[in-house]
Amino acid sequence: MDSKLIKIFHGPQHPGITGNMSVELDLLGETIKYARTHVGYLHRGFEKLVERRTVIQAFTIVCRICVPEPDPNEENFARAVEGLAGIEISERAKYIRVMVQEMSRLAAQMLWMGGQSGSIGMGTVGQWSLFDRDLMLDLFEELTGGRVYHMYTYPGGVRRDLPEGFLLRLSELLDYLEKKLPKYDSIFFDNATFKKRAIGTGVVPKEEALKNGYVGQTLRGCGIRRDLRKDNPYLVYDKLDFDIPVFDGGDVYSRALVRRGEMRESIKILRQVIAQMPAEGAIMQKLPKHRKFTLPKEDIYVATESARGEFGYYMAGDGTEHIRRMQVKGPSLIHGFTLLEKMLIDEELSNVAMIMNSLGICPPEIER
Amino acid sequence: MKFTTIDIKGIISPFSAIGKVLEHPKTVCYPAQTKTVAPGYRGFHTNILTDCIGCANCQDVCMNDAIDMITIQEEKNPKNKSGCIPRIDYGRCCWCNLCVDVCPPNSLALGEVCIQAEMDSNKFLFFPKDSSC
Amino acid sequence: MKNLQKTYEVTQKVERLFEVTVTQTDFWEAVLYISTQTEFNTLSQIACADWIEEEHFLLTYILTTDARDKNLMLKLTLGREYESMPSVMTLFPQAEVMERDLHEMYGIGFEGNETLYDFVLEQWHDLPPLRREFDTLAFVHEHFAFKGGREDNKDVKVEQKRRREEAKKQKALEAAKQEAKKQETEKQETEKPKEPNTHATDAEETQDKKPDTKEAEDGQ
Repeated sequence: MDSKLIKIFHGPQHPGITGNMSVELDLLGETIKYARTHVGYLHRGFEKLVERRTVIQAFTIVCRICVPEPDPNEENFARAVEGLAGIEISERAKYIRVMVQEMSRLAAQMLWMGGQSGSIGMGTVGQWSLFDRDLMLDLFEELTGGRVYHMYTYPGGVRRDLPEGFLLRLSELLDYLEKKLPKYDSIFFDNATFKKRAIGTGVVPKEEALKNGYVGQTLRGCGIRRDLRKDNPYLVYDKLDFDIPVFDGGDVYSRALVRRGEMRESIKILRQVIAQMPAEGAIMQKLPKHRKFTLPKEDIYVATESARGEFGYYMAGDGTEHIRRMQVKGPSLIHGFTLLEKMLIDEELSNVAMIMNSLGICPPEIER
Repeated sequence: MKFTTIDIKGIISPFSAIGKVLEHPKTVCYPAQTKTVAPGYRGFHTNILTDCIGCANCQDVCMNDAIDMITIQEEKNPKNKSGCIPRIDYGRCCWCNLCVDVCPPNSLALGEVCIQAEMDSNKFLFFPKDSSC
Repeated sequence: MKNLQKTYEVTQKVERLFEVTVTQTDFWEAVLYISTQTEFNTLSQIACADWIEEEHFLLTYILTTDARDKNLMLKLTLGREYESMPSVMTLFPQAEVMERDLHEMYGIGFEGNETLYDFVLEQWHDLPPLRREFDTLAFVHEHFAFKGGREDNKDVKVEQKRRREEAKKQKALEAAKQEAKKQETEKQETEKPKEPNTHATDAEETQDKKPDTKEAEDGQ
C-alpha cells in the first residue's frame, strides 16, 4: 500500500452517518482512494426471531427493521401473509393502508431533508423539517397509538378504524405543508451553497443503474422512470393519479429534486385518498384461528416502494403457525455496498456524509 | 462545478429564513407545560380488576415474555378462577397492544401515562393500574 | 417471457410473480440463459430457507425485469452439508453482498466470490445462526443472565386446578361439618336445624361447574 495513504473510519459514531455503520476510507490528502463498508454494529437477528414466533407475534417486530419508516415493512409483512393465506382485504382497508404509506413517506422525506441538510452544515432546515415531521407523527399517534412504531398495518387489514374527524385534520396538515414546502425551496433546494456542493457530486452512471439493481431515487435521479407504485401496483395505487418525478443529472442534487417532487406527489395522493375513501366498510378481515393462524407450505416475494426505493420480503410458510423464513431486502443493501464503495472513490472526505444521506442508506435494514 | 453566472436567487433566498424570527415559538416547555397525548395512545397498562378473569391469554400472546401472572392480594372478581392477575415487566414490553387485543373481558388496556423514571432497573415490574374505580 | 416458457417450465404463483425450478447442476446454465436471453435480467434478492426435515436448503434467486414489473423466482435445492454454489457475481455485481450474507448465516460457499469474510457477525465461530439447528434460546441462556425478581410467576392452569381442588376440599369439609352439626342437632332435638354458609358454598359450586366459554375463545 502507498505509504502516503491515511486510513480512517467514518463512523460508526458520526453525526453524518445515517445509523450505526462505518466506512473504512483510505485517503490521499482529502481524496478517497479506497472505500469499504463495514456493518455489524446493529445486528438484532429479526429473521431468526421471526422463526420462533407465531404470525401475529412476528408482526409486531417487523416495524423495527427500519427506524425512519416502519410502515413499508408492515405493509410488506401483511401483504406477504395475505398472499400466502389467500386473504383479500376490503376496499376501505386498502385506502387506509395507502394513506398510511403516503403519510409515512412524507414523514421519511422530512427526516431525510433534515439529514441531508445537516450533513452539509445547514442546521436550520433540519429544525424546520423535523418540526413538520412531528406534526405528521402527531397524526400517527392519533391513528395508531404510537408515534414512530405504529404496528398498525395488520395481516387482513388495519388494526383500528380512523378516529373521528381524522381526515379533516389530515387535510388541514396537508394545507399547511403545501404552504410550507415552497419555504424549503428557498432555504434548501435553491440554496446556492447546497447547489454548489451537490451538483456533480456522487454521480450514478445511468448505464449500470438498471442492471445493478439500484432502486428508488437512485434510478429516478438518473433519468429512469421506475416506481413500483406504477410498475407493479399494489393496494389501490392503480386507481390513483400521480406522477413520478424524474431528473437527469444522476448526482446528489438530482436525487434531492426527485425527493422534493415526491413530497408534492404524496400530498396529491393523500388528497385523492381523502376524497375517494369509502366511508363505510370493514377495516379488518379476521384471520382464521387468529392466535394459532397457520401459513401454508408456500413461498412468496412481495415488494413495496418505500421512501428510499424497493423494499422486498421473501416469506415462506411451512404449514405450522410459525413462519419458516422471512428474508428482508432493503434498498440500502445494494446501495450501501456495491454502489457506495464504487461511488466514494475520488470523492472528497467532506462529501461522504452527503452522499450516504442522498442514497438513503439505512444500516438497520442491511443487518436486520 | 463552477458557476458561469452568479446564482443571485440562490444567494438571496436562504435569507428568507430570518422571517421565522417573527413567528411564535412552538416549543413545549416540558415540566411547566405537558403535551396531552391523543386518546388511544399506547402508554402504560391499566387493568379493570373487577373484570379480569386471570386467563393468561395476555401472557400467552406476549412475544417478549413480559407478562407474569401473580396471585392477587384481595380478590375483586369472583369469576377470576386462577386468582392471578398480570404483572408487566416494562424492561421487556414493546407496547404492541396484542395483550389488549386478545383480552376476553376487555379489562386490559393501554393508558395515557408514559413517563416513568427509576434509579433501579429491577423496579420496572408493574401491576397495571386498576381502572375499575 | 416467451423465451423462458420455451425452455423452462414456468408456473405463475400470484399476479406478476413466476417460478422456475432447476437442479443444482443446471443452475449456472439456467441463470446465464435467463439473465441474457429473457427479460428477467436483474437480481433483486437471493433468499434461502432451511428445510431441515427434508435435509436441504431452498435457494431462491429473485430476478426482476428492467421495467421492474414482474418477478421471477429461480429455485433450486442445495444439500445442507456446507455445499458450494457458483457465484453469480460476474453476472450481477450486487450479488456479492447477498452471497456474503448467506455464507455467514447458512454456511453456504460461493465459488468465485472473494469477499466471503465477516459480514454482520464478528469473530463468530459457532454454527451459522440461521440454520434451523441453531437454538437461539439455548444460546441466550448460555451467554446472558436473566434479570431476577420474576420468580413469583404462577402457571395459570396449575393455579386454576389447585384452586378448584381447594374449593372442592373446602366444600367437602363444609359438608362434613354440616353433617356433624346435623347429627348433633338431631341428637339434641332442641334447637332448630341451622345451616350456615350454605348459600356461599352453593354459589361457589355453580360457578366452578359453569364452563367459562369466554376464556377459551380468542379475543380480537
